[in-house]
Amino acid sequence: MRTVLLALVAVAVALAAGLPAASGPATPAPQPGGTLVIGRGVDSVTLSPYASASPDAEVIAHVAETLYRLTPEGRIEPLLADRLPEVSSDGRSMTIRLRRGIRFHDGTPLDAAAVKWNFDFILNPDNRAPFRAILLGQVTSVDVVDAYTVRLNLSRPFVPLLAHLTHDFLAIHSPTAVQRAGGMRPPTGEPYGRAPVGTGPFRFREWVRGDRIVLERNPDYWGPRKPLLDQVVWRAIPDDGARVLALEGGQVHVAVRIPPRETTRLALNRALRIDRTSSVRTIYIAFNNQKPPFTDARVRQAFNYAVNKRAIVQTVLGGAARVSDAPISPGIVGYSPIQPGGWPYDVERAKQLLAEAGHGSGLNVTLLHPTGRYVQDAAVAAAVQAQLRAVGIHARLQTMEWAAYLAFTNQPVDRTPVEMFMLGWGTVTGDADYGLFSLFHSSQWAPAGFNRFFYRNPQVDQLLEEARSIPDPARRAATYKQAMELIWRDAPWLFLHSESQVTGLRREVQGLVVHPTERILAHTAWLAR
Amino acid sequence: MWRYAAKRVLLAFPVLLGVSGVVFVAIRLIPGDPAQIMAGQAATEEVVRQIRQSLGLDQPVPVQYLYFLRNVLRGDLGRSLFNGVPVVEELGQRFPRTVRLAVASMAVASLIGIPAGILAATRRLTWVDTLVMLVALVGVSMPVFWLGLNFILVFSVRLQWLPAFGYGTWRHLVLPSVTLGAASAAVVARMTRSAMLEVLGQDYIRTARAKGLAERVVVHRHALRNALIPVVTILGLQLGTLLSGAVLTETVFAWPGIGRLLVEAVLARDYPVIQGTTLLIATTFVALNLTVDLLYALLDPRIRYE
Repeated sequence: MRTVLLALVAVAVALAAGLPAASGPATPAPQPGGTLVIGRGVDSVTLSPYASASPDAEVIAHVAETLYRLTPEGRIEPLLADRLPEVSSDGRSMTIRLRRGIRFHDGTPLDAAAVKWNFDFILNPDNRAPFRAILLGQVTSVDVVDAYTVRLNLSRPFVPLLAHLTHDFLAIHSPTAVQRAGGMRPPTGEPYGRAPVGTGPFRFREWVRGDRIVLERNPDYWGPRKPLLDQVVWRAIPDDGARVLALEGGQVHVAVRIPPRETTRLALNRALRIDRTSSVRTIYIAFNNQKPPFTDARVRQAFNYAVNKRAIVQTVLGGAARVSDAPISPGIVGYSPIQPGGWPYDVERAKQLLAEAGHGSGLNVTLLHPTGRYVQDAAVAAAVQAQLRAVGIHARLQTMEWAAYLAFTNQPVDRTPVEMFMLGWGTVTGDADYGLFSLFHSSQWAPAGFNRFFYRNPQVDQLLEEARSIPDPARRAATYKQAMELIWRDAPWLFLHSESQVTGLRREVQGLVVHPTERILAHTAWLAR
Repeated sequence: MWRYAAKRVLLAFPVLLGVSGVVFVAIRLIPGDPAQIMAGQAATEEVVRQIRQSLGLDQPVPVQYLYFLRNVLRGDLGRSLFNGVPVVEELGQRFPRTVRLAVASMAVASLIGIPAGILAATRRLTWVDTLVMLVALVGVSMPVFWLGLNFILVFSVRLQWLPAFGYGTWRHLVLPSVTLGAASAAVVARMTRSAMLEVLGQDYIRTARAKGLAERVVVHRHALRNALIPVVTILGLQLGTLLSGAVLTETVFAWPGIGRLLVEAVLARDYPVIQGTTLLIATTFVALNLTVDLLYALLDPRIRYE
């Protein structure tokens, strides 16, 4: 495990330095050629800016590139841009210089006009790009300054924008190719979204829906590190057991989302290794903060004391998670630990707080949870239920199929019957703003936003608003820390854990990056023979 | 017979109309909003409303249904709400794969099931009979995902003879069709056995034996043909089930057919895909039933359709 991490870090460091990667100390020199096959549970939906989930993003990331990229360590580096952007003193414009000499796979040049075309497309409300408001909500227009410089104009200062520009849904596609394919129609960017054309290290080759996506090496790739693999193939293998067997049988080189119960057995197989990279996805149980007894902070805190998260992570999740020590997880710009080790497990304190709040004789609640959406979600809910019983809380578990669940937990405050529910949130932009504002700001109460637990703290609101316009990273992080301390004390959630991505790899796979934003990146991968 | 066939074809339309109507209403009654799912967990209410509008989901259900019927008559089943692909195109790609799997499984089921049933019937109450029926019982009871995973474990992981998943060459077809065919083979074997036993007890079989025919001729020429009528019915129904997509088998072997398509569509509330797929399945069932009924006439000259 440690060597995997070391190798990944080594590759990342080498990448950052723009040098040929020096892999782990014992590994041989990179060998070109071969086809890497990645097995995952689902297929992509679209490979256009209409994408809305990580199975789309990870394929797009190989074909089309963003202006900036987020390293696995949570640093932002130029990619298609040739340096970090210049932000005007009033914070309302951002000037970006592009690298010269880059061409799309169709031979057309990447220039300021192409970048403007991409942004204009997403910004046009008629096109209904799903992530427009979230990623570019503050951008009003884009100017071409010269052939290789663009300027983004903002309605108000918005520092998280830089992180948003690393997001694959804002990758730059070839405008010529989009037009040639017949454009992009909402809701999924048809027909262009079936065969994307970008500047990336791999070119799109084939997509058989429900079965496989095939990319091939781009021999003219502009970057300092040329891709080594001839092909990268994603195969959709929905059954967990079958995916594991395909890995063991060597039909796939990489299998994502290995079930925790399989890891011990697979660890004994010398042909395989297991990678556990933490993810930016936080799992929590939210309280309806406007519904008694959860209007009382002591009750919410008591729930947090009553649950032994460490035990849940060790036993139910087989160690494939990290106990939350803040509302967001490490690897996100603006994260800092609020309570190292997580909320303490203290049954006596929980009982005492419940008694103070007038519930010493016990409490009956309903806990909603999804089944099969997050790693071991139903089992985690059952474990929470069992532990709550020890402090006199009787939680009735209720589950629903995912689509129904999303709708049920998205009702307005005056109508929702929800008391407690389990959900996850992936801070996929890599910036704390997306992980905190969207969830804890009172303007985001459901159904308008994702504050489905109706939390309101004016101080938190103000801090989260302020942080959006603080250019200095240290001061900004301090502001987030202050906001997170308030949130932590208010305990609008039962803070649980952030998931790890458990990925199985065959030994011959080298240089593959499992990114915290739940993407497998094969840019620098190769197969040892 | 042609009149009968024409009448049956005409009768199929109200059946299909009924099926599509029930499905249309039922999927809209279950909670879960396709626009919300499509927009993603994090989308704003505004985005969700726009999507709902652009999909026509803000219209009253009867209006939506009339639009649907009009489009069906034009050969247009709409586009997937989820990936925007025309449903006709998606079904056109996936249905042939399901047909391939279903036909191969049927072949497995018939080639194993019918001889096994005959063997058990002619060796009634011997160890052969007991063994065949025991194996058949196991075959019926075995969950296909368990059987499928074990096949993968043995033939793909250990022996490395066959691919573990996906579709493409005939080698990809072997494991899923044997897995899927096993359960059907068991049903067919049991059915063949009891039909054969019934026929073998008939007077004309005694007559055939009495006039000194070889047992092989009695069984194959005289008994089997009559015993096949209920077996053909079962085969037809089994084929219908197989053609409507073997969800578990398709999932275990990552076989991109219509069974998986339908399940994924239901989970995503992808209304046009659900409607198109169920309409296709209903049509398949109706057509198969008709074919089976017409086949009776070939097998049994006493059956006449008027």
